[in-house]
Amino acid sequence: MPYIASIGTYLPCWGTPDARIAGDDEDAVTLAVEAGRAALEAGGSVEYVVLVGRDLPLTESSNAAVLLAGLGLDPELEVIERLGGAPATLDALGSARPRTLVIGVDLNSAGAAAALTSDHGLQVRTAARVSRSLPVRTRNASGDIHDYGDPRLLRKRGYLASLATAWVDTPAVVAGVPAQHAASLAATQTTDLPTTGASSALFALAAMAEAGLTGPLVGVEQASLSGLTVAEGTAEVRRRERPARPVLDSAQTLPGEIPISLAAYERAFEAKVRWEGGRFLDSDQVDFPPRYRVDEDGSLDTEYTFVELPRTGTVYTEVTVHVPVPGLRTPYSLVVVDLDGVGVRALVRVTGTAAGSVDIGDRGRLVLRRIAVRSGVPDYGYAFEPDSDPVDEEEAA
Amino acid sequence: MRKVAIVGAGMTPFAEHFALGIRDLLPMAFADCAASVDKGVRKSDIDAAWFGSMGTTDGFPSGILADTLGLHDVPVTRVENSCATGHDAIRNAVYGIASGACDVALVMGADKLRETASKGMLWEWESMTRDMAWDFPLGLAQAGFALHMRRYLYESPATREHMAMVAVKNHRNALNNPKACRRFELTVEEVLAADTVVTPFGVYDCAPQSDGAAALILVADDVVDRYTDRPVWIRGTGLGFDAVMHQHKRDLTSFAATRRAAKQAFGTAGLSPGDIDVAEIHDYFTGIEIISYEDLGFAERFEGFKLLEAGVTEVGGSLPVNPSGGLNTKGHPPGATGVAQCVELFEQLRGQAVNQVDGARTGLAHNVGGPTAVAAVTILEGPGG
Repeated sequence: MPYIASIGTYLPCWGTPDARIAGDDEDAVTLAVEAGRAALEAGGSVEYVVLVGRDLPLTESSNAAVLLAGLGLDPELEVIERLGGAPATLDALGSARPRTLVIGVDLNSAGAAAALTSDHGLQVRTAARVSRSLPVRTRNASGDIHDYGDPRLLRKRGYLASLATAWVDTPAVVAGVPAQHAASLAATQTTDLPTTGASSALFALAAMAEAGLTGPLVGVEQASLSGLTVAEGTAEVRRRERPARPVLDSAQTLPGEIPISLAAYERAFEAKVRWEGGRFLDSDQVDFPPRYRVDEDGSLDTEYTFVELPRTGTVYTEVTVHVPVPGLRTPYSLVVVDLDGVGVRALVRVTGTAAGSVDIGDRGRLVLRRIAVRSGVPDYGYAFEPDSDPVDEEEAA
Repeated sequence: MRKVAIVGAGMTPFAEHFALGIRDLLPMAFADCAASVDKGVRKSDIDAAWFGSMGTTDGFPSGILADTLGLHDVPVTRVENSCATGHDAIRNAVYGIASGACDVALVMGADKLRETASKGMLWEWESMTRDMAWDFPLGLAQAGFALHMRRYLYESPATREHMAMVAVKNHRNALNNPKACRRFELTVEEVLAADTVVTPFGVYDCAPQSDGAAALILVADDVVDRYTDRPVWIRGTGLGFDAVMHQHKRDLTSFAATRRAAKQAFGTAGLSPGDIDVAEIHDYFTGIEIISYEDLGFAERFEGFKLLEAGVTEVGGSLPVNPSGGLNTKGHPPGATGVAQCVELFEQLRGQAVNQVDGARTGLAHNVGGPTAVAAVTILEGPGG
């Protein structure tokens, strides 16, 4: 029986409190990295990663490498990309070995949550499982969604029938159904969950862990469900959830193709996605990006080692591009950031705030984002997210 | 080392030459240049040619120059050095003549920005100047220089009004220059009210996109009398560099490449900034002109704006800058720009310029660019020097 040591959650700042929207520079992988890093903040080692969702980029094998690099994990780890919603996430958790990081991710509504299993912590055990077919929502090969359009059928012959079949009397918390239905089904559903897909099961688990609730947690997707019994124990919960704000109407994306060199992409990948510089043995200086060195006597030195770069820094200079740039959402801001304590600067785009709202001297963190989609390839790198945002502070006030 | 003189200088207008290809612009600029040689020049006099072009419009640049001018018997070398391309073509020709390898050299520069659709221009030219994995996908474009300017405005007393004063001055100068692209008067208010391109640059802080070609005939002092009695001497050249990536530049309030190029050029000329009577300074963005006043030694650090406030750099001031209208009104086909700056100085130092600077004897031309990683300075001296 697995134990949960820690849970991390992430919500993009765009959209409404009920329905978050992933930023233009976010996708299922970057959302998963945010949630995963939040879960790993508490410490603990990872041996397996399971990524659950129905919105994973169709890159044919690259997602695992980006995910591991973004999480700072060993590229030798096994990553399972699992197609599914809330039941699939609970299935993955119920059968997980210790030191497994299970991440659920959704794009509609957007959010991600991750749970790290361990030998101790919050105890869960599998309680119910039913697979039934009621495909009210389907996707074709190119991802286009077809909706049958009968919510009452879904409710009655979908999850209500499945709950009856599974002999689950009254769940403590239900994930994967609209908020108003969840409240009527569950005994102790205290807060609305921000998502309804794969991540919702872990958002529910986080809420139970924080409130000290025990009992059946049921994840639903159409007419299938999976249930875990949440027992005693504690799990640390770290939330990266900033207030929601509307997507700016003024922003626009001019159509256009940004070319890529996959040779350059591959060479830069480790430093660019793991956020690492290079340092030579005899030197304190960190090169970013790492590079070969020719000494004064003409000798070549290629033996640098990768060193992690700080993920916090201060804005040295900032500009906002207003002229429409084909293939990029404009306006957008660029900053040169002084990374804390290493004498290294980075030129990056600004994320998680309106263009033009970051100033010289502002503090923030460096976060993995999808910098661009170039010739169909998601190009990942880091962006600057300011610490406190004037809009956030207004809303908090 | 032999002394090197300019005996002929000419250029096409800088404009959106949709109807003219690079094969048309090159002969036009050459003919304009040849016509300016007081005692005439024959194509057969040319011993070697250097051709500055950043792009490769219609293919292989050296071959296109040789073809269009019928110069198949002499070596033609294409030079590419980002925004310093034109000046570097001159510098290479100077080396060729000074060394004794040739007596008469043709220097040309040309580029055609408007061969590419407006919407494709950014990514096409970005790919020539940015690291493909790191900087390219960020969409830097004009932001490269803007990152400098934003920090400069933060640290210095200069303001956007001072940047606007550069545009106003250079547009006023362009009114008289038929070779300029943007020829209308502006007010500071109009510059400040224009749409923002990239903070802190508005539309008029930026140069227009233009095509153009320019040409110079360079000769050794041994043969200068055959061509003119009023040569313009090339006293100094410099080409300096800085880190290519903005995150590797330690101080964005200054262009290290310019300081290095200026040091070389003033050093070889045996001159100092106080000796300069007229200058053509890189003003692809208005603010660069202000920073460059300082990097070139015309103003103290963070005091460049004072030259504008005192009218020092207007025609009629003690150091007129960009009497041609500068890049700000002509545009910047990079291969042609530095060569065209020297066309303006050739005319200034011979007393024939449209906005003539009284008594101008020594002139300086300057470009800085690409990812602000290269700069060139060329110092010229008028007849009798």
